[in-house]
Amino acid sequence: MVNPVLLIAVPLGLVFAIPLFALFWKDAAKYIPPAALGFNLVVSLLLLPKVLENPVIVSIGGWQPPFCINLVAGPVGVLFSAIIALVGLLVSIYALNYIKEGATEKYHMLYLLLLTGATGVVLTGDIFNLFVFFEILCISSYALVAYLREKSGIESAVKYLIQGAVGSSLLLIGIGLLYGQFGTLNMADIAEKITSVSPVSLFVPMVLLITGLGVEAAIFPLNAWLPDAHSSAPSSISAILSGIAIEVGLYAVARIIFTIFGASSIFLFLAFLGILTLLIGEMCAFSQNNIKRMLAYSSIGQIGLILFALAIATSYGVTGGLFQLVSHTLSKALLFLAAGYMIYQTGSMEISALEGMGKKMPLTCLAFTVGAFSLVGLPPFIGFPSKFLIVRAALATKETFLFAALGLALLGTVIEGAYFFRVVQVLYFKADMPNPGKKEAPVTALIPMFIFVVLIVVVGIYPKLVTDVLNSAAIELLNRLDYIRSVLG
Amino acid sequence: MSFLNNYIYYIGAFGLILIGLYIVLVKHNLIKVIVGLGVLDTGVNLFLISVGYITKGTAPIFSRSGIDPELMVDPVPQALVLTAIVIGVAVLALALSLAIRLYQHYGTLNLRKIREQRW
Repeated sequence: MVNPVLLIAVPLGLVFAIPLFALFWKDAAKYIPPAALGFNLVVSLLLLPKVLENPVIVSIGGWQPPFCINLVAGPVGVLFSAIIALVGLLVSIYALNYIKEGATEKYHMLYLLLLTGATGVVLTGDIFNLFVFFEILCISSYALVAYLREKSGIESAVKYLIQGAVGSSLLLIGIGLLYGQFGTLNMADIAEKITSVSPVSLFVPMVLLITGLGVEAAIFPLNAWLPDAHSSAPSSISAILSGIAIEVGLYAVARIIFTIFGASSIFLFLAFLGILTLLIGEMCAFSQNNIKRMLAYSSIGQIGLILFALAIATSYGVTGGLFQLVSHTLSKALLFLAAGYMIYQTGSMEISALEGMGKKMPLTCLAFTVGAFSLVGLPPFIGFPSKFLIVRAALATKETFLFAALGLALLGTVIEGAYFFRVVQVLYFKADMPNPGKKEAPVTALIPMFIFVVLIVVVGIYPKLVTDVLNSAAIELLNRLDYIRSVLG
Repeated sequence: MSFLNNYIYYIGAFGLILIGLYIVLVKHNLIKVIVGLGVLDTGVNLFLISVGYITKGTAPIFSRSGIDPELMVDPVPQALVLTAIVIGVAVLALALSLAIRLYQHYGTLNLRKIREQRW
């Protein structure tokens, strides 16, 4: 049987071997991340059928839980690690040619480190270990945002770092409070003992944990860093930050709320926050002229929608939320990758500068259009079944508040459609340039984009491919007693 | 008085945390903000240590005979703090190197004057 530890150990070992390999072969640095992430993808896919039957629990150091640090490779963990590996692999192939300037070796190290941190967060079963992996993810993303060393990149990295550091301090205080009350750091153990103390004394740690993780997850009042950081990072990093980093933050929030606290009383508040995040993100995105800022704001909107769906907290709702998360990851990564080469060609991030790109770079623009339509939720792309599931889940609850919220969410989708169609119109229908001459993106960029397009269309036409996995992931999140039993035996 | 005696470490820890947060939120100079982050980190570390501390406790090692296990402090928070200190150092180092770059680009460290990116 494959051991889930390899999902963390192999990339982590390879990250720090990169400078060694680069001594002998200069290009090794850029080929190691695809190799490591390809390995992770294969291992995750091999593990997936097994963990659907029974979660695999790995105790590190030979101690029994709750005394050891343990990894919990349940459906949620392996689903996320497979997505991280898949998107990471495709983006690292894209980066082979895209990243040319600067300290490329450090870029590839930090990139792989970021994804290792993300994989660790989704697999670990120990709350302090979650904090450590989270910090690995955050610190490497601060550094990567500043990678280009431009004015805007440095400024947004500073903003991101200050907010992120305060957030992780709050997270650590929350963990300390939980440890003081329960004397354990194992998530399943805390979840089991949580009923033994009064809910009042749990309120402060819960608020601290949600606030701390919410900074990285970009939940509304805590997301001021996101548009700057995502728009001034290199496009391949924007794809990872939008597609992986904030989703991992959201996963951690969901894990804390569903598994550790089982706090059904704050679901409505979270649904409210989700809708607020959605509307603010979409409205800001609508008023942007800079294409990368527009995509970044649209990420905020999507995060709000996912949070809303998770906060419905029925099995349909959580499945829909996870489905929307997968669809956002694929579509937004594709959009950033396509936008990266369009910006590279025009040398400007203004939407108006993209006029007539549909004739100049037909394949890249086609990929962008597919991603945009998928995010808006048009059939036959992946965004349609995921949004459909959320609507169905909200209608099935028969709660007035959720109905109203759903109406606002659909309004958000309309706004989303408006600004994405505007870009598509600029790409294809605005220019009458005389014979622009084709200048397509290089093959290393077209292959990942093509694979994203295929995945988006295939899963969109045949959602059954993923719904089984998503269903069992939703059941794992909602059924905390099973989680506790499977870890503690 | 006994309240002070019992909770002096918690009072100190949360005092540091609040001072750190105040500096981060209010000060305009990036270096001061980074110092604030350092104070905040120290406060969190002190808090974690005091969670596991026993008054007049000893290190949890059987270094000589006759040590009462009841008086040993909890070693787990100390392990956590070691990790947290390392993470804090990494964040501070990165923050300072970004501050150098920021100064090269803008010629100032005043955060109120650096506002190219807006909502």
